[in-house]
Amino acid sequence: MRRRWFGAAGAVVAAGAVVAGVVGIGTASAQPQLPPVSPEDLVASVMTAQPGPFNGTVGIDNELGLPALPGAPQLGNGEQSARVWSGGDGKGRVALPSGDGEKTLVSDGTTRWAYDATDRTATRSTGGAPEQKDPQTDPAGASAQIIGELRKTSQVAVDGTAEVAGRSAYTLVLTPQPTERTVLREVRVAVDAEKRIPLQLTVLTTGSATPALQIGFDDVTFGPQDPSLFTFTPPPGTTVKDAPARPQGAPDRQGPPAGTTSVGDGWDRVVVFQRPAPQQGQQAPQGAPDLSALGTPVTGPFGSGRAITTAVGTAIVTDDGRVAVGAVPEPVVAEALGTR
Amino acid sequence: MTATTGTSAATGRAPERTHAPLGRVVGAEIRWVLRRPRTLVVLGLLALIPVAVAIGIAVAGRGGRGLIAQVAGNGFVLPVVALGLALTLLLPLAVASAAADAVAGEAGSGTLRGLLVAPVGRARFVVMKAAGVITVAVLAVAIIAVVGMIAGTLVVGGPGSLITLSGTTLGFGEALGRIALVAVWTIGQLLAVGAVALAISTFTEHPLVVLACVLGGLIVFGVLGAIPSLDWLQPLLLTSGFTAGTDVLRDPLPLDGLASSSLRALVYVVLGVGVTFWRMARRDG
Repeated sequence: MRRRWFGAAGAVVAAGAVVAGVVGIGTASAQPQLPPVSPEDLVASVMTAQPGPFNGTVGIDNELGLPALPGAPQLGNGEQSARVWSGGDGKGRVALPSGDGEKTLVSDGTTRWAYDATDRTATRSTGGAPEQKDPQTDPAGASAQIIGELRKTSQVAVDGTAEVAGRSAYTLVLTPQPTERTVLREVRVAVDAEKRIPLQLTVLTTGSATPALQIGFDDVTFGPQDPSLFTFTPPPGTTVKDAPARPQGAPDRQGPPAGTTSVGDGWDRVVVFQRPAPQQGQQAPQGAPDLSALGTPVTGPFGSGRAITTAVGTAIVTDDGRVAVGAVPEPVVAEALGTR
Repeated sequence: MTATTGTSAATGRAPERTHAPLGRVVGAEIRWVLRRPRTLVVLGLLALIPVAVAIGIAVAGRGGRGLIAQVAGNGFVLPVVALGLALTLLLPLAVASAAADAVAGEAGSGTLRGLLVAPVGRARFVVMKAAGVITVAVLAVAIIAVVGMIAGTLVVGGPGSLITLSGTTLGFGEALGRIALVAVWTIGQLLAVGAVALAISTFTEHPLVVLACVLGGLIVFGVLGAIPSLDWLQPLLLTSGFTAGTDVLRDPLPLDGLASSSLRALVYVVLGVGVTFWRMARRDG
């Protein structure tokens, strides 16, 4: 009888191994053999890359340690994935699935739609293509300039090759110079060897073996895409809103608030700015989280405030409304505030 | 009582006793399962799930978040949502109770002994009992899907098409295809539960033990899956794939989640059926 039980236990163990083998992920990736390339050539080829249409799945592994904000729970630690389709020419589609809904972003080159399935609203915005690349007349010179700037504070190298999403890639590594007082240890960018688009970004911090942030393709397929993916018709029952129009000529992103100063340069740059004061009798604008309850109280030559420490940097919000942020440990931020 | 002793059972069985045609045996089992009042009551109650959701949506109207809110004005989502709701506990309960009755119930009432000495091979016996469980799983899913479609069309109403979570609109035919896909996928998940339940059922003569093990196991799996530091367990837990049914509401259809959860269910089926065969080949009554 005992022998049979052993047999059964063996069968269960074998089946378990099959489960682990079939379902498990984690496949060791060999390092592909690729011709050597210099960092300048790699960056130049990325700037001129014309990858053409592709689709894929992007995984985001976030261990940044950002505080959980009520307005933006997706910024908290965790893994997320997004499905992306690109038709080239500014056309694209991104699907961000969640357990009970999905956010869809569609751009047909001129009109951009953002559809949220949970409340069935579609937001339309028109205007120029969202990601207009600067016309690069001299990519080789520009990349040499960029690398030169980076070399002042970093070691730039092409650190071998890697396999990302089943594709061979060069790994471009930025390492801060030893004099830089940053919490970042290394930034790695995997660049597709053939199509020369970035496939993966990895941010490593001091004192941690696991990346603080990793964004990259889990799988990617280059080839023509179904053109109907890049058009969007709001389904019946949808609330359609128009995004507030941007004034002509204004930059895409909101510029830094007036009075912003930066202390230091390179990796240990600390940005100090005045927190926009909430207007009397008015709610804080949506999306501006209440920072007063976050972090731990700190005091120093700058006065007193609260320090918010994450894996990739530190922010100090002083009680008199100044904010200092940098990818540095807390004493460096405090020092930057003190020099003001 | 049996013709074989413990040692000869391991080496082989008398082949001349396996003469009953498989079709007739399976047919008899299915008839027996379907004539049991408890099966009919369970199937009838399962049919109420989509109706209850439809009435709730019709009364409450739009608003609220979550997947159920997607049903409003979009009736074809109802079968998908109802299957997703029922898959968490009620459908496994129905399948587990069928599996519990299949072997443990017969053992408890003393009729298993008669079946085992009948001229039916042990392998055929397992196939016959599995057919009864599969029948319950297929019928339960089909009833929820069909009632869901009818209730979704009549009570909730809709454009005769399916609005996906991605904001696209699928025509009638494609919507039917998506509902059929989620139904087949749900049956696959239920077969995993049923196979494990059948395996447990062969070790006991108390049907309640089977129900307790299956439901307790599902709850434990759910708890384990919710603990962040145990996320390495996720690929092993059957329940971690249960949410993949929602993927049929996305466009273009992502197959990764459906495929991996079906593969996981297949492994559970193989495990459960294997243990059931192993145990029944040796069971004496």
